[in-house]
Formats: sequence, C-alpha cells, structure tokens
Amino acid sequence: MKSLVVGISDCKVSNDLDSVLVTYALGSCIAVALYDPATKVGGLLHYMLPESALDTQKAQDNPFMFADTGIKALFKAVAASGGHPRRMVVRLAGGAQVLDSQGVFQIGKRNYLAARKILWKAGVLISAEAVGGEVSRTTRLDLATGRMWIREAGGIEKELMHSHSSKKAVEGG
Amino acid sequence: MAFSVLIVDDSAVMRGFIRRVLTLSGFEVGECLEASNGEEALARLEGHSVDVILTDINMPKMNGEELLRRLETDERLRSVPTVVISTDATKARILKMLSLGADGYMTKPFSPEALREELERVLGARNA
Amino acid sequence: MPEQLQPASPVEEAPEFGPVVVRVAAEVLETMFFEEALPSACEHAWLAQAVSAQLSFEGSHCGEFLLSVPPGTARSIAAGFLGVDPEEMSETQPGEVILELANILCGALMSTLWPESNLSLGTPELVSAEHSFPAAMHCCFSLPEGMVAVSIALGSRDAA
Repeated sequence: MKSLVVGISDCKVSNDLDSVLVTYALGSCIAVALYDPATKVGGLLHYMLPESALDTQKAQDNPFMFADTGIKALFKAVAASGGHPRRMVVRLAGGAQVLDSQGVFQIGKRNYLAARKILWKAGVLISAEAVGGEVSRTTRLDLATGRMWIREAGGIEKELMHSHSSKKAVEGG
Repeated sequence: MAFSVLIVDDSAVMRGFIRRVLTLSGFEVGECLEASNGEEALARLEGHSVDVILTDINMPKMNGEELLRRLETDERLRSVPTVVISTDATKARILKMLSLGADGYMTKPFSPEALREELERVLGARNA
Repeated sequence: MPEQLQPASPVEEAPEFGPVVVRVAAEVLETMFFEEALPSACEHAWLAQAVSAQLSFEGSHCGEFLLSVPPGTARSIAAGFLGVDPEEMSETQPGEVILELANILCGALMSTLWPESNLSLGTPELVSAEHSFPAAMHCCFSLPEGMVAVSIALGSRDAA
C-alpha cells in the first residue's frame, strides 16, 4: 500500500489501486476529495485560501493554494484521468478555526464556504464532510475502495460516512 | 425508476433552488411541476400524478395548511408523500403540519445536501 | 386614515437584538447562500442606493421587518444562491433573491426571538431606499462583499 502525500497547497490524482492519497495538518485549510467509483480514479486537493483574486500572481504560480483555482484544477485533472463529473463522490475535510502563526488570521470558515459555493455553482453536491471545530485533521482516501478516513489531532481515526443533516428535517408519522 | 415531483412555493427563485437540488441529487426526475400557491398546486394535480409534493406554508390565495387539508380529503392524493418546507421553526407549527398529514418538515434555511437527504428518506420509505 | 404603527413599549423589545441577528443571519447566509456574516459597526451612507425588502408579520407579535443591502452585495448574494456567475442573472433575479432572503431571515429571527409565538409573515416587497422605521430594533453586519442592515419595528396596528 503506497501513500501518495498531498502537501499544503498541493493536489494529487491517481487511479493506482495500491495507493492511498493522504494529507496532513488540515487546520484552517480545506481538503477536497473526489472519487469516481466506476473508474476508481481519485483526487485530493489541500488548499489554504478562499479566493485567487487575493493574489493573482501566486495563483498563477500555484493554483492549488486557492479554493477557486484549486477545485477547478482538481476536477480537470480527475476528468483527464477518466473520472466522470456526474459520478464523482465529493467529500470535504478541514476548515477549523485555528490560529495561524501570526495568531490572528482565522479563515477556516471562509475556506469552507468558498468550497461549498464553488461546488454548488459547479453543480456538485457534497456527500460527506468533517469540517469546523478547532482541531487540525489528517485525511486519507483509499483508491481501491473510495473510502475516506479522518483523524483529528489527539483523536482516533474514523471513517467519513455519508452525512446526515438530520437537524433540518423532522420525520412525519 | 423516474419519479415526478410538485414544488409549491410563491418564490420563483426558491422553486429554482429546490429544482436544482433535485437535478443534482442523482435522482431520476421525470416531471418537475411547479405552483406558486395551493390553488395552483391543486390545479396542476388534476390529471397528473406525482410521487412527492414539496410545499411552503405561507403563500397567497391558498396556503400550505389548506393545501394539506385538501390533499387529505382526496382519495387519489392523500397517499402522496408531502414535505413541508417553511421558515417557521416553531414546535407548534411543525406539530400542526405533521398532524395535517405532512410526512416531513424542513425549516429554511437548509443546505442542498440536507434537502437531498430528506428526499432520499421520503422516496426510500415510499419504495419500501 | 392610513394604518399607523404605534411605537412599541420597551418590554416588547427583545434583549441583545444585535448579537441575535448576527447569529441567525450567519446561520441563514452560510447554510443557503454560502456567505459569511460578521458583526460590524453600523454604517448607513450606502442606504440611499440600497436594495430593500420589507415584510409585515402578525399574530402574537405584529410589526414590520426590513432588510437592506447595497446593489453590488445583492448581486453577489443572488449569484451565490442561484449557483451562477453574476453576468448570467436576469435584471429581476437579484431582487427576487433578496426578497426570499428577507423571508427566510425574518422567519428564522421570529422563531429565535419568540419561539412560543404564533406568527404569520406577509409577502415580502421591494421598497424604496428612503423607507425606514421609527423606533426600530436595528443592526448592521458585514459580508465579504458588503454591508447588510436589518430593522424590526414592533407595534399594534390602529385600523382606520
């Protein structure tokens, strides 16, 4: 089992069934995981900032730093490897409200909302997410099965299952 | 198997939001009917059968409460699952609508994913 | 004689109006409009050109709710909700989305401020920029794309 490590402001796509895509230190950053269960192509993006307009030069140098350029590049790369947009399972992790090294700049929520807005515009619904809170996370995507695991700092690893937003719905009799 | 839906809300943009969720959810949507109030909804249902009705409460001409009452008295329509989608999150209102025959109740705001899950639940129950 | 809203007595006003509005607005805007709402000092210079939506409510409480946003902010909120680029919207869509935002925000606020109440909301309408209330509960907050102002006036209606 090979680990393909995705760094900060980085993205990797693969269809190698012996590999696992993994990224660490998801504080306020967001990881976007795509997986096509039919062709078993998967991609993992780890971005830091919500909008490339904040720094267009940096976005040109590294599109994976930003939500808009990064998610676009991720979809393109997964499609080029045989992933079909309509079949894609999309999951998010990260977006915690943690202090960065300066101690003041907390953009976890804005990073998360940027992903949701971009995915809604792209016509894609999110299957599951592990976001918010105040702790850093690690995540891995198994390309053979499409299963995804999350580990919060100080916690044990748990599988990320299809989310249940039951607080918004009330079941009738 | 394709399913058909009736969306009842006096806001065209809200109907569009719901329609978009349906399209993106991976359901096989056959007919997607729309109405801007209860009266129009009943008119749309004449001669059409649908698999689920999504309705707001606060609408002019005929509101969601009255629509549910009418649906309950109709032999053909009373078994169609109905989900209320409303800004009113008070317990009294939720219980009232459930007692009038609603199969589910979603309060606005809701995420696209929450609406998809509610539809999966209601349509899954229908097919069970 | 036109209907008049009488100024509410102090006991009718909900405590901590500003923080409650920002908390409820944040939930509404994040969940369905993908926008982040943050507390902000009041700033009203932009109100003259604002897109404003008003609706009335009645039942155990009655009054008026007013939501105002700058035109550029309205377009941005609308594009996010509809899932389109701003250029793809029709002329009327930003206003329609702001009307629905007012409807949702008013309903959510009523349910939070007065959870045991029995209220019905009227149909929201776009109103002119000069529209304002006397003696209203009011607060401003900010989105990345601009300011938002919310006002509620409570009172009994004196029929003609």
